[in-house]
Amino acid sequence: MRLTSLTLRDISGNAFRSFVIIACAFVVAGFSLATILVARGATDSITLTQARLGADVLVVPSGNERTIEGALLMGSTAQIRMARANLEKVGAVVGVEVATPQLYLMSMSNSSCCSVPDMFMVAYDPATDFTVEPWLRKELGRDLTLGESVGGTYIFVPEGADTIKLYGYDLSLEGNLEPTGSNLDATIFFTFETAYEMARISATKAAKLLYASPDQISSILVKVSPGSDPGQVAKDIRAAVPGVSAITRPELFGSFREQMEGQRAVMLVVLAVILALALAVIVLVFSMVVNERRREIGVLRALGASQTAVFRALLASALTLAFIGAVAGIVLSALVLFFFKNALTEAFGFPFMFPSAGSFALLVVIGLAVALAAALAAASVPAYRISRRDPALSMRE
Amino acid sequence: MIELRSVTKTYLGAGRSPAVTALNEVSLTVESGEFLVVTGRSGSGKTTLLNLAAGLLHPTSGEVLYAGDDLWKMSDKERSRLRNHKVGFVFQFPSLLPSLTTLENVALPQSLGGSNAPQQSAGARKRRATELLDMVGLSDKLPSFPRQLSAGQQQRAVIARALVNEPEILFADEPSSDLDEQTEQEIMTLFSGIHRDSGLTVVMVTHTTQLVSYGTRAVEMAAGAIVPGAA
Repeated sequence: MRLTSLTLRDISGNAFRSFVIIACAFVVAGFSLATILVARGATDSITLTQARLGADVLVVPSGNERTIEGALLMGSTAQIRMARANLEKVGAVVGVEVATPQLYLMSMSNSSCCSVPDMFMVAYDPATDFTVEPWLRKELGRDLTLGESVGGTYIFVPEGADTIKLYGYDLSLEGNLEPTGSNLDATIFFTFETAYEMARISATKAAKLLYASPDQISSILVKVSPGSDPGQVAKDIRAAVPGVSAITRPELFGSFREQMEGQRAVMLVVLAVILALALAVIVLVFSMVVNERRREIGVLRALGASQTAVFRALLASALTLAFIGAVAGIVLSALVLFFFKNALTEAFGFPFMFPSAGSFALLVVIGLAVALAAALAAASVPAYRISRRDPALSMRE
Repeated sequence: MIELRSVTKTYLGAGRSPAVTALNEVSLTVESGEFLVVTGRSGSGKTTLLNLAAGLLHPTSGEVLYAGDDLWKMSDKERSRLRNHKVGFVFQFPSLLPSLTTLENVALPQSLGGSNAPQQSAGARKRRATELLDMVGLSDKLPSFPRQLSAGQQQRAVIARALVNEPEILFADEPSSDLDEQTEQEIMTLFSGIHRDSGLTVVMVTHTTQLVSYGTRAVEMAAGAIVPGAA
């Protein structure tokens, strides 16, 4: 019989103490994984959303900065409108290579088409667009035509139907974009031409009228010329076009980043407190376990087990218990985050996306490593002490 | 075989209690093949003497030599290996591991010798442990756990465990103190038989002076020293 399995059998003989060690590792691993997943997922989500938009500068009516961020990231209702004439003025600013308009239409609450409660509708101009067009060219090899759409990863055609019905208008879904973890995943894109047709149809076929005026747009996405400074271009746009706000890519979602940073800091503090508490509890419980078993450990030493062998066996026992707890914590944490993602996104106030399988595996390894390192550090002190004691002293009452 | 040279052991007092000198400048030689019985009242230092001689306790000063080598100049690994290969122990308290069966307990020392231990197959280890349990009259208790054995049966299993690695010396600390008179006699007869048949060196500590008759030599201890002329 190996010394490690013998020690583990002895230590795990006390169900309550084993449970406490397992529970500590469970909490540490689970919370570590959750913290890293949420923090990293939020950063990834914001970065991907910025990349998906592809704009160096986003132009919106003044006072709507926070609204547009909320709409793009979280799906908040956005009734943002400005004059289409602003498009020409923005396009004329030095350093602007492309300026493309978008129109945000009323979200559909509890629409039957979607697996998400709200759906965000965006009309774009195929002639100038650089948000959806690159994907369309790569995946479909063509532009969208009247009555066609592409959706985020959560948009689907209802079972038994061929089209998505919006405001009484039948829209075909030509494909789904890659996930971003933000509201873009619950966004459906179609051309301005389709939006106007949908608005026209809604007057006779929908319970609710869709309003889409050809003179109005919601935002202008700007790509700057090579060598131009986006900051300077944004400044020039603000000067040239009264009543608009120009947000550069690094500034976009700034308020969400701040909120996310704040919550991440809170989570890190909570993680540190949990880690410290778990360390203290494991030290205490493992000291009790070792103290309770000190006579047996003394006997093992007398029978020929070396200090190193006993130390290693005790650590291996603690690590085995911690591993069981850590795996359980990680599984539960991942399941909660996966299945309650939407509720958590709402509670946090910022989006986060689940990482790829490879990244997730890495995060799992980090979560496991944190829990095992904590158990190792906490068990080392009592294990070292007892293994260094003279066997006769360990065996004494 | 074993020599203690001017060995002193002082236990540091816990908190403000004073340090206690359990053994004071004791010198003793144990010759190969003898059965030494160490007697003395409680607190005379006899268990400390045995623990020091067996390498289970650091001396505060002095030297403990095993076959001429200072035990406390060896590395812990070497000392552990020596305890595993050459020394057998029978303790006063129940020392079988509660989570192991009788057979597993007896076979245990064979797997604690580290990488330099003679490599034996699991079957050979089991055979050796079974033979010894048969010798001490416990052949029907192989799968029993310690809690299922009487105090006398437990002590017999401990004796079997002490012999499993064919040691050169056997240390026994009050091996029969918790047993009734009849069981005590059975255990002592077992010790005598082992010593007589195998020539094993035995050092036994006891507070019962009647047990001196089982040994080939006796020393008496009092107040941390060997009583002069009593050897």
